[in-house]
Amino acid sequence: MKKNRAIEKQFNLLDYALSSLWRRKLKNLGIIAVFALVIFLVASFQILTGSLTETAERILAKTPEIVIQKMSAGRQESIPVIYLDRLADIFGIRAAVPRVWGYYFNETSGANYTVMGVDRAAMPEGKNLAMAIEGDFPAAGQGEAALGREVAADLKLAGRRTFSLFRPDLSLKSFRVSGIFAASTDLLTADLIVTGLDDGRDLFAIPENRATDLLVYVTNPNEIGTIAKKIADRLPDTRVLTRPQIHKTYKVVFGWRSGFASICLLTALAAFVILAWDKASGLSAEEKREIGILKILGWQTADILVLRFWESLAVSGLAFLVGCTAAYLHVLFLEGSLFRPVLLGWSVIHPSLKIVPVIAAADLLLIFTLSVLPYLAATVIPAWRCSTVPPDAAIK
Amino acid sequence: MIELQSVNKIYNLGQPNEVQALYDVNLLIEENGMVCLRGASGSGKSTLLAIIGCVFPATSGRVAVAGKQLARLPDRFMTIHRRRTIGFIFQQFNILPDLTVLDNITLPLLPLGISPDERRQRAAELIERLGIGHRRDFPAGQVSGGELQRVAIARALINNQPIILADEPTAHLDTSLSHDFMGIMVELKKAGKTIVIASHDPLVTEHPGMDRIIDVRDGRVNVS
Repeated sequence: MKKNRAIEKQFNLLDYALSSLWRRKLKNLGIIAVFALVIFLVASFQILTGSLTETAERILAKTPEIVIQKMSAGRQESIPVIYLDRLADIFGIRAAVPRVWGYYFNETSGANYTVMGVDRAAMPEGKNLAMAIEGDFPAAGQGEAALGREVAADLKLAGRRTFSLFRPDLSLKSFRVSGIFAASTDLLTADLIVTGLDDGRDLFAIPENRATDLLVYVTNPNEIGTIAKKIADRLPDTRVLTRPQIHKTYKVVFGWRSGFASICLLTALAAFVILAWDKASGLSAEEKREIGILKILGWQTADILVLRFWESLAVSGLAFLVGCTAAYLHVLFLEGSLFRPVLLGWSVIHPSLKIVPVIAAADLLLIFTLSVLPYLAATVIPAWRCSTVPPDAAIK
Repeated sequence: MIELQSVNKIYNLGQPNEVQALYDVNLLIEENGMVCLRGASGSGKSTLLAIIGCVFPATSGRVAVAGKQLARLPDRFMTIHRRRTIGFIFQQFNILPDLTVLDNITLPLLPLGISPDERRQRAAELIERLGIGHRRDFPAGQVSGGELQRVAIARALINNQPIILADEPTAHLDTSLSHDFMGIMVELKKAGKTIVIASHDPLVTEHPGMDRIIDVRDGRVNVS
């Protein structure tokens, strides 16, 4: 019986709290709207960062385990293809192939493309690469190219299948479009043009016995570090990059950008909480009178705190739900358009990949902790201060 | 029933704006009676009522209400004692205007864990008895002064407390409504309640149902 009364009391207080919110609906809807907007901004950012990191990891899983670059005076330069012979007897290397790549600046649109020439037949993941292309993989030495979706749009092909790029001597090299990269790979292929190895060399005027870097594929992924160390020993004038290192770089880039923006957004959240505190600590005469009447009628300080707690939880909980749902929909349907430039850069060409929202429980908990809890404190504590004074003001 | 011995009340004790409202008050009010605290504005009768009603403690002296010593009782227990023992009727009614008449009346029952059905059931009888049944679901801000007074009375009675305290209850009522109010108080007295009314309205102080007049002047009490 006593237990039932305790539960019934909570229902009564919750019921009264909701009706109290409804009685001041304009004011409370305003608070919910502003609060939800702030939570929406923070949550959008968290979801977008999580989604991009996940997408990057998924795509990077298909890249070579080791990349070898020749360094000279701290800068990268072309690498002799003959270096491959020095790797031939390292146990655990599945394949090692040369690659040519560089940046091409399109003066007309002001965009930078990444042009890559590869020998697909020699690459173990050549089949994967072909599967990522809608169309055909560029045939070796045929002047064919596969384009990232944004490059295709930037070149304004409009149904044409050919385009030309300038060689360093300003002569034109023509390409025929063999295929377009799938949207799901956009994060890495948006600005990419892939050609055969010889066509790449031809475009950048790289001698036949040299390449931009060498790609190494290993048999056992657990051995990447060991093999990279052996390669570095054999080729002391090179820089050996491993896939885990590249993973880390992506994480650091997204982490830095999202961290910077998160600080800005959390500042907005803090400003809102301070505003809520300022407003709540100056309870209106009407609210103070109501607390006084309730106390005179036998409500205890704890009852008033519970009432205020339910009110604040309803406001902040609703704002949290609305903000997080809106953030999810923003990333799902609008591709997180508000924050894409912040996370993906402001370049002329940036990925327009289809993002699948990823929500981590830890992120939600973090947003809840940084939004709902401070709001509860900002509203309940002033009510406690008000309700601990004698309620005689109400009877005067 | 209500006993005060050497009660003093000083507001803002130790501060520059310190004011003594009650001086050495000794008072005994028996149960099942109607008593009037008579005095001009500022005489200290509202302070006396608030101390009897466990709203705030006396600065010194001994106060016992319904068998419970109130001196140094923590706020929490003062509230529980007030809830069980005392029903208040205020000069300004102190009704929440946005709540319905029914919700105002049942407000004291919410923290007791009384279900909505039981609350409605308890209120129904009082509402009919006080003649405000037709206003039950109206917002309190939309009913007349006389009806508001009845809402306040119903609210003071909803938890069946043995003591009713009324502070200047007829200050905002016309003569006819004041007569009605005193009629209800007499009925409650007959039903066994102890009623203490603070007022300087002759219609209250000279009412034939009044058992005793206690004069309060400049914070001192004269029992007649």
